[in-house]
Amino acid sequence: MGIQIDALKCIACMACELACGYHRDDAFALLSSCIVPYRGREKKNYVGIILKEEDSLVAARPEGVEINRIGEEQDPEKEADASAKPMLLRESCDLCDDVDDGPLCITFCPTGAISMA
Amino acid sequence: MEYLASDKIAIVDLSTGDITEDELDEDLVLDKIGGAGITKHLYDQHVSAHPTENGPIVLGTGLLTGTLVPGASLGILTAKSPSTGKVSHMPLNLDAGMELKYSGFDYIVIKGSADKPVYLWIHDGILDINDAGDLWGKDTWAATDHIRSEMGDDLIQVLSIGQAGENGSDLAQIGINYWQSADRFGFGRLCGEKNLKLIAIRGMGLLEISEPEAFMEDCAELIAAIRSNTTTPNQGIAAVSAALGEEDLGDWLGPLTHRHMACFNTPVATNTFIFTDEDPALLKETIVTEPGFLLTDIFPLVALKKAGLSAKDAGLVLKACAKYGIDGAAVAELSAKSGLTRPEEIEKTLPDLKGPVESTGKSIFSPWAAVGQDINANWERRQAVAYVLGLHPIWFQITTELTEEKLLDLAGLGSEMEFTQETLDEVIEDILA
Repeated sequence: MGIQIDALKCIACMACELACGYHRDDAFALLSSCIVPYRGREKKNYVGIILKEEDSLVAARPEGVEINRIGEEQDPEKEADASAKPMLLRESCDLCDDVDDGPLCITFCPTGAISMA
Repeated sequence: MEYLASDKIAIVDLSTGDITEDELDEDLVLDKIGGAGITKHLYDQHVSAHPTENGPIVLGTGLLTGTLVPGASLGILTAKSPSTGKVSHMPLNLDAGMELKYSGFDYIVIKGSADKPVYLWIHDGILDINDAGDLWGKDTWAATDHIRSEMGDDLIQVLSIGQAGENGSDLAQIGINYWQSADRFGFGRLCGEKNLKLIAIRGMGLLEISEPEAFMEDCAELIAAIRSNTTTPNQGIAAVSAALGEEDLGDWLGPLTHRHMACFNTPVATNTFIFTDEDPALLKETIVTEPGFLLTDIFPLVALKKAGLSAKDAGLVLKACAKYGIDGAAVAELSAKSGLTRPEEIEKTLPDLKGPVESTGKSIFSPWAAVGQDINANWERRQAVAYVLGLHPIWFQITTELTEEKLLDLAGLGSEMEFTQETLDEVIEDILA
């Protein structure tokens, strides 16, 4: 079981990121979330979601999902997203294991872009 | 102020370069709640009695801005409109309100005028006045690129003026990043008069909640209700236009639509990105530097469509307006009167366009959110609630789940304060006076 993301349904509202931040900090904050819409390519309107899991960094791009194993060398040709740079320093997704109704990112996503696989 | 706030107000005097800070007094919040209630109070407190000095610009956020209350995206810019002469409120949408909320400041008062071009850099509870000599003369796109590149952060929100504001146009608009804003008050001209090229904002702070579990439970119930409500509009500017009672622009925009983009934590995207110079069906990242334009304002779209422009040409006109920093609704109105329909012809007229125009704000709230609506007492009250508590003004016109009672409950749960309907009524009365 894990988080499944359909980037094409994402409207970049950041509700998932804020909900995840609440799970980490018991307050509203955006620096500790393990799920982040990337919104740093505004003029090109290239938007997706990055999720940090235990062993991998999942990049749910509009053209498809890319899973990068943490610790493996990345493609140097690929430009990093500004909002993704600190992701490796963050805690991994724990599926909000202390929340009865499941991951908060799913609860608060207004479009159904995030679901359980 | 411990909860839902950074507990800091900055007072910037551009004439002297002085910056002072105050705490956000809990009594002020109990009395004025937040958002436009407090920006209006600060405006009145700091407006100069000297008739030759332009009045202050006050930035702020609503009490609930930046939280998980659905639609809590709003920042507010309050100032005296050069176009109408009234103290008016411009919504700061997209991610600008959220970034301001998390910037370490609750409210920022900008007084006086600089003797040379400057910009403000607001982040991490720090506010700097920086030289903008290199930025003056640049369009809003170039200015936004310049700041983001210099700071190395593409997520910085930029409120900027283009050449229209620098040159004192009555129709000058403060843009948000690369896009059109809801400024129908000529605030771009006011910034030009202050030699204030732009305000760059980045928020990385934290908001404490008084009763987090109860607050989150209520927010989760709200978003569940919104998701299951069959009357919640579909995504995108065309669907929102139709939901508000204006023309459905879907068939017109459809062939160019790339994706719909929401303002922060707003369940329905009121913005749509169209590709004018790239295949709209492209999913991969385009190699085209400027493939299109984010449509954020329904009024000029409807006007340009009625004038006979194609959706592509309308997008090109609005992109030119955004770069130049001029109100697209005013340009659409004036170009229709002149019978102009070709983007390049319309763009040539931008430096010489003058008001008055019908699209200028008639209320103290931007008519940007009055699509398909009459600007009457009911509309103004709904807007006032949105501007006090920090809700997206168009979304708040559409949604049925967010009642005043529910929002006051959430304000109490979040802030450890009690806000009554009577207090809200008094705050609104004061704003509308």
